[in-house]
Amino acid sequence: MKTGDASSSSSRGQISIRNVSKVYDPDGAKVLAVIDCSMEIKAGEFCVVVGPSGCGKTTLLNAIAGFHGITAGEILLDGQVLCNASQQAAPGSDRIVVFQNGALFPWFTVLENVTFGPVVQGGISDKQARDKARAMLSQMGLQGIENNYPSEISSGMRRRVEIARAMMNDPSVLLLDEPFRALDALVHQFLLDVYDKSKKTIFFITHDLEEAIFLGSKVYIMTTRPAKIKTILDVDIPRPRDFRVLSSSSYIRLKKECIEAVHEEALKAFAAGEREMA
Amino acid sequence: MATGSKQGFNWVKLKKQVFSRTTYRGILAIIVFTVLWEMCSRLQVPIVGNVPPPSSVLKALGQQLVSKSYWASWLDSYVRILTGFAIAQVFGIPLGLLLGVNKKARDLIYPVFEIMRPIPPLAWVPIAVIFWPTTELSMMFVTFLGAFFTVVLNIVGGARSIDVRYIRAAHSLGSTRADIFWKVMLPATLPSIVVGMTVGMGITWAVVVAAEMIASRSGLGFLTWQSYVAGVYPLIVIGMMSIGVAGYISSAMIRLIGRRITPWLRTY
Repeated sequence: MKTGDASSSSSRGQISIRNVSKVYDPDGAKVLAVIDCSMEIKAGEFCVVVGPSGCGKTTLLNAIAGFHGITAGEILLDGQVLCNASQQAAPGSDRIVVFQNGALFPWFTVLENVTFGPVVQGGISDKQARDKARAMLSQMGLQGIENNYPSEISSGMRRRVEIARAMMNDPSVLLLDEPFRALDALVHQFLLDVYDKSKKTIFFITHDLEEAIFLGSKVYIMTTRPAKIKTILDVDIPRPRDFRVLSSSSYIRLKKECIEAVHEEALKAFAAGEREMA
Repeated sequence: MATGSKQGFNWVKLKKQVFSRTTYRGILAIIVFTVLWEMCSRLQVPIVGNVPPPSSVLKALGQQLVSKSYWASWLDSYVRILTGFAIAQVFGIPLGLLLGVNKKARDLIYPVFEIMRPIPPLAWVPIAVIFWPTTELSMMFVTFLGAFFTVVLNIVGGARSIDVRYIRAAHSLGSTRADIFWKVMLPATLPSIVVGMTVGMGITWAVVVAAEMIASRSGLGFLTWQSYVAGVYPLIVIGMMSIGVAGYISSAMIRLIGRRITPWLRTY
């Protein structure tokens, strides 16, 4: 990866989430989304948060990204307070989000999308940005589609371009919100390669356990709403990883541990749903 | 992947389209329609038989095509259409964007807008004739109204339905407010602007023709009405068809512009 070598990257991107709670209060109906949630994410760690749908994972991600505030606690990035109860974080290019359904701008070509960050941030000429983007794309095996619009490439390809667009800004943290829903396994390999080369801190949200263990170094299993951490799993599978991991004994053991923890939560969620319906 | 977005014109595709079964069927349909129309007239079928037959229309058309006043009617209508339409875009697009993006502006302006909007443009003709110094200006004003409300309404809808993900992504990538407007909101709204223009152009023709019949001394609408008054029936049909062709040309122009400014919506 051209953008920053491993040593400089891993000195950035340490996230501390301390006793964070979030209450949604639309029309006075208080909904507790996250309660007293704490995480210490080391710089350069691939952290995956797993939990049932609607449990408040995205709430946490949005707070880090600066899309909304939190009700209690604080979140720090590299020792600096990012947000607390009184102050919402400002969105910035040090924490780039890759969205659940993708957010490449349909009206820009692939190249225009990838250069978007450097161009709006300034300090670099358009030509430099284009050259950098071309280099980035070809490093990631995405050459030949620069002038295509997002609608002209496959959804897996789109997601890769979006990761390239994020990496162009040399962010401290990559925030990924269930980015690979209904996409093929190759995209996972793609992200693993990007991670191995860049050693960026990754905050990855999913409801898919297998995906979590396959990708992550640390897996945080969340409870149902209000979300807090139920179990933390250290995934000791060595990197670089590829599909062979999926049949290794340590993967299967971790998966089993995980499933038990999550199943319990799913049952609780189901019971809670039943109660709400009644 | 081979279909690059910025390639030259596709001649093979055009050829295929022109010499297609659909084209032949279309031509056949027009011939059958013309023959039926001629027969209705010759056989004195009640009501439809009163319409001048294609043969006499064609004969009259031959005279019109070399007549200066016929083309002057085209020109007059087009000047009204294009002026009114262009001014509607100049005012409508910024206003629509403002209303779509800014809640305060929406709260303040929308009520008045909503009171004015349901008034059919033609209901404005009398007052327009009174307050504009010339009939020409009043025609253009009424044409302007026809396109204006449609354009604004479409843009407000488009601007308000922008997916929040795009805005968040742009923020996250370090955009300023100006970047968000120019690089996200405006392009995201362009498809709605094109729709507004397309619909607006249709309304504009309907409005100008009727307005010309009521209050003008020139234009294709006037030509049609005048032919009725003078009892030159084939010319009525020529007037009608000219309006149809003129409307079609205008729509084609808008489509062309629309495809130009929203290239990402082109499907191959």
